[in-house]
Amino acid sequence: MKKKNYLHNPATLKIDLMLRGTRIDDPVVKAWACGSSGVDIMLPEKTLVNIPCSEEFTRNSPYLIKKKGSGYLITDGASEVEVSLVERPAFYNRRTASGVPLSSIAVVHGSYTVITPSQRCDFFNRSIECKYCAGNFNVTGRDGVVYSVEEVLEAVEAVLKEKASEIIYFSIGFSDSDDGGIEFLKPYILAVKKNFNCLVAVEALPPKKNRWIDETYALGADSVLYNLEIFDKELFEIICPGRATLIGHKRYLEALEHAAKVFPSGTVASHLIVGLEPPGSTCMGIDYLTGIGVVPILPIYRPSANRALRIEPLDTEIILPVYKHLYKSIKKNRINVNWVRDISMVTTPVELKAIVNGPRQRSIVDGFYKSRLGKKTAWGLATLRRKLRVIDREDDSE
Amino acid sequence: MSVEIDTRPIWVILLLKASRPAFYLAVVLIFWGLIAMPTPEGLSIGGQRAIAIFAVCLILWVSNIVPLAITSLFAIVLVPVLGVLPKKETYALFGNEAVFFILGAFILAGAVMHSGISNRVALNIMKRFGGSPRTLVISIFLLSAFLSFFMSEHAVAAMLFPIVLEIAKGLGLKPGKSNYGKLLFFALAWGCVIGGVATFLGGARVPLAVGMLKETTGDSIGFLEYSVAVFPLVVILLAAGYLILTKFFPIDIEGVGSARAVLERRIKGLGKFSINEYATGTVLLFTIIGWIAFGEGLGLATVALSSVVVLFVFRLVKWKDIEEYVNWGIILMYGGAIVLGAALDKSGAASWLVKSSVGDWAGSPWMAFALFSFLSILLTAAMSNAAVIAVLLPVSLGLASKLSMDPVVLTYAIAVPAGLDFMFPMGTPAIAIAASSNYINVKESAKGGFIMFVTAWAVFNLVAAWWWPLLGMGYSR
Repeated sequence: MKKKNYLHNPATLKIDLMLRGTRIDDPVVKAWACGSSGVDIMLPEKTLVNIPCSEEFTRNSPYLIKKKGSGYLITDGASEVEVSLVERPAFYNRRTASGVPLSSIAVVHGSYTVITPSQRCDFFNRSIECKYCAGNFNVTGRDGVVYSVEEVLEAVEAVLKEKASEIIYFSIGFSDSDDGGIEFLKPYILAVKKNFNCLVAVEALPPKKNRWIDETYALGADSVLYNLEIFDKELFEIICPGRATLIGHKRYLEALEHAAKVFPSGTVASHLIVGLEPPGSTCMGIDYLTGIGVVPILPIYRPSANRALRIEPLDTEIILPVYKHLYKSIKKNRINVNWVRDISMVTTPVELKAIVNGPRQRSIVDGFYKSRLGKKTAWGLATLRRKLRVIDREDDSE
Repeated sequence: MSVEIDTRPIWVILLLKASRPAFYLAVVLIFWGLIAMPTPEGLSIGGQRAIAIFAVCLILWVSNIVPLAITSLFAIVLVPVLGVLPKKETYALFGNEAVFFILGAFILAGAVMHSGISNRVALNIMKRFGGSPRTLVISIFLLSAFLSFFMSEHAVAAMLFPIVLEIAKGLGLKPGKSNYGKLLFFALAWGCVIGGVATFLGGARVPLAVGMLKETTGDSIGFLEYSVAVFPLVVILLAAGYLILTKFFPIDIEGVGSARAVLERRIKGLGKFSINEYATGTVLLFTIIGWIAFGEGLGLATVALSSVVVLFVFRLVKWKDIEEYVNWGIILMYGGAIVLGAALDKSGAASWLVKSSVGDWAGSPWMAFALFSFLSILLTAAMSNAAVIAVLLPVSLGLASKLSMDPVVLTYAIAVPAGLDFMFPMGTPAIAIAASSNYINVKESAKGGFIMFVTAWAVFNLVAAWWWPLLGMGYSR
């Protein structure tokens, strides 16, 4: 069967690139990608993508990044498209006062900078870690590093000064606590909110009680993610034994439903990894999540030699309808798509518009959201909303 | 951190938030209107301003839009600023004995709580009356009333408060939500209020009124004579109070038996009586005896503070142990209320209010009795009961000679209702102490208290009309 050409549409190209990766024929790009999970490339229409380039499967990729004049292009052999290499943040070369490389604390993924203050995940210590555990951030077992609040603040300051991204994304691995990790993240969130006017997203585990979700919002988190990863309950139990045993599929859905009532529209999200379950099952997950006001984010499963799980990735032709379904489902449920945008690791709903409607034109709204005024407005509205919605019961007691 | 997220539509929240500034604006306009209007005849400018402050504080106290204590501080600020009283005098009023009595009572209550004796007593009461939620409420209601026969109702409320709080916590009742929790604290407060009018010992107001009567007319009222006269009132109000409370707050727990195993385990966990418990209990016992025996002579505050000193001298308690039990909000509120009452009294505003409202109506003895008893019970809702007596009694005694009424009966008409505040925490410390538990709020207190207010006034007038003639007492000489 003849392979389709995706080069003409940045949105489909992004998906295909994430799925197949690329070969590199340039020392500068190779140097960029060295030590990273992939290389960040800006496709046409300002579509940002992180393309795998070091994994084994990328050797057979039809795509090649080549130097052309002062710029770059991606070619599949038959045709080509001009792209640009995303500049590596300058702070990646700096260290904190305590000597920790800032690049190991904060990793820029487009509009989000991911910070994982504790890289410990107790699932590893109990041998019940998720069997793919590559789509997430670098969490590990007992010896995981813990960065201090001061170190994290130094990294955040560097990110914001350089305008590398505008949202600070805190993530945490599993720890056996009722709060899902929020008590641990609390000083980091409070410190960032106290010192900087930026938006904060939190990726945590669903807490045992909803009051922790309320507290997550009250603390200053503007967005929350409880990543279900797999909607099919049986596959969830097999692939994510820790999550299934200690949290439970049902609790994920309950927590997401409650969070969607607390947080603004479009700011509660959950990963459903494409390729770990049948596309139909992912579509059912999309319908369920969008039905309760949650944005499904669909990272693509990337097989890795050092992971227990070996599943053949799906073909772009098969997964494109899943992404289309996601866009339609989000529109149908009128979920705000402007929060989850411009992320290199996943295809965002805003980008999916181009798959459904053809290559997109940047609208005034898009421009506003990316402008300085738009970012300040978003921060101001988020802060005002929190001020209006959060009731501190301790203040009420007299 | 205890947070709740308001998930109502943003426009609803914004509308509600906007209502707060609108309310403040309305209060400012009312205040300004009362200040700016032409001064009525017979009222001084100071009196007019005192009435304006009183109106604003009443609105803020009732609405509870700012903490009660802050409203009181507002009154303390406004009184000297508007020149109603000199600042030296205003702040000196805060040093009133009642304020120090409340402070002493809080410290004593804190020591009792900290020693664990209140916990032991509470647990044993629960165990003793654990069979039924109804008998537990009745026991607290009657215990409060009975103890108030012999000692200041304020002291009874302060003493029983930690025990009732332990009971409420022991039963896992949620503050502000549990009907049974409300019932327990209203039983405590109303029991104290009703019991407090039964004898001279319930508070300082009756001795104060009798003293004023004697000064003005030479007449007096005996200890037993007084108690016999008000006995039916006390009995009827206790019955009515229980019925009203259980109607307003139906018992919403199945029983206290479910907590029985926990209670027994906890009682066992307390171990034997510690020396600290014995000593603190002994100090409390001597304090009660002191209040009964020397309360009128030395003053309730003196006795309370002496006991506090003893507690610290014998190291039965440390300051940091009791600090959390001292409700400074209530102390500030009570101090502010005293300042406001004095401002109304000394500026002539209270007298003007009485004269201008009663002058034309009090045409007959029974009408004068009904009106003065009504004014007394009404004013005590906002003023300290001693201030009500100080304001109303001189006017009523003057009216008595005009209408050929027995001044003794008019003294009853003011002294007894002045102790019957069921509505507002600012009127009586018993309600204020109960409200500090957070199980009841001012709105609920005003709602149930209003029915008791009407009932108490009606029953008092019926007792005067039907019972007193049997004792040889009548409206006219």
